[in-house]
Amino acid sequence: MSSGPGTTVAEEPREAKAESRNRVALVIGAGSVKCAAALGLQKVLAREGIGVDMVVGCSGGSLYAALIALGIPVETAEEMTRRLWTRELTKKRHYASLLRAMLPQVFPFQESFGLVDDRLILERLKVAFGGRTFEEARIPLFLTATDFHNGEQVVFSSGSLVDAIRASIAIPYVFRPWKVGDRLFVDGFLCDPMPVGVAIKHGANVIVTLGFESPYQGRVTSVLRFAFQLSSIMSNNLLRANYAFHNLAHHTEILPIIPQFRERISLFDTDKIPYVIEEGERAAERELPYLRRLLSSTGE
Amino acid sequence: MQITIEKKEIVTVVSIEGSVDGMTAAHLIAAFREQIGGGSARLVGDLTSVDYTSSAGLRALLETVKDARQHGGDLRLAAVRPEVLRVLELSGFTSILQVFVDVDAAVASFTA
Repeated sequence: MSSGPGTTVAEEPREAKAESRNRVALVIGAGSVKCAAALGLQKVLAREGIGVDMVVGCSGGSLYAALIALGIPVETAEEMTRRLWTRELTKKRHYASLLRAMLPQVFPFQESFGLVDDRLILERLKVAFGGRTFEEARIPLFLTATDFHNGEQVVFSSGSLVDAIRASIAIPYVFRPWKVGDRLFVDGFLCDPMPVGVAIKHGANVIVTLGFESPYQGRVTSVLRFAFQLSSIMSNNLLRANYAFHNLAHHTEILPIIPQFRERISLFDTDKIPYVIEEGERAAERELPYLRRLLSSTGE
Repeated sequence: MQITIEKKEIVTVVSIEGSVDGMTAAHLIAAFREQIGGGSARLVGDLTSVDYTSSAGLRALLETVKDARQHGGDLRLAAVRPEVLRVLELSGFTSILQVFVDVDAAVASFTA
């Protein structure tokens, strides 16, 4: 359920401030633990003195977008997410949902369906972000989720961070959709796994993106894995289609940062976060020369 | 960015060296346009030495491929490095552009 009365959805966001003609956006798309690479990217940008005018996050990327926008140091952010995103999150089943799925004639099915008991993730989000709001962010922050009833992309830019992140990470079948106000939300990746359009809409010209395709199942051995496989197929095609459109529609530059992982990173490989951050840093360093030239040519 | 032009029978091979991005896109479009304007619309972009492409680079490729096709030809890519191919795939370009392992295969595709 929605928390405080301060929560607003799809409200007109605060305008991102730009100190020069460049308006740099950092867009962190879906990708669970891999999104920690954003901390490596942010490390490089901070070290090089490259300011970010807005941060956009979606799904797993919403966690890191919020941490970066709040100005939390990389080391602290790494520690926070290692404590927050662990395998225990999915250990406890949401039995009511299971019963409603298996015996709908006895226990009527409800749209707030999710196989995992989501109380732990909510508790951890509250520990990590407390009562913090978008208004406390040092950099304008936009987090996306999907309206469950009409598929619309909804951009959160004010109110409770916990509500917005919980909505943005409502992984289908796993976590129950999340209600904010009178709307029910599912994971932001379902409408756009890499919400570049939000940055374009809010006036960014140089858009640095970091996002990942959903992994395909090695072996499909259960109904849930079958559902995940279909979800990956659809979301990956959606990612490419939207990314193509945004690349062609944008008037300046979209710079993809693509970390190269030598090993498979699974949903809860929290212990690999330091390695993921390193790869994010390496990938950002590869694009740094061009980013510098671009900013100096399009800046003041 | 360095651009080298070479004729191979009915095909014009445009070898590009460097990044295809916002700083170089206009130069690349002009080079391709000159070839198409001169009657050489069958183009192969040799990307052996291209290490990066951004959205502006993708728009340059798209503009060229549309121009070439309108003039009865095509732009086909050859020897694309994995990091550049990844961007082409992510942005859906591999669904509209033909990509070949090397220049010879791309050139041969025009006469096949």
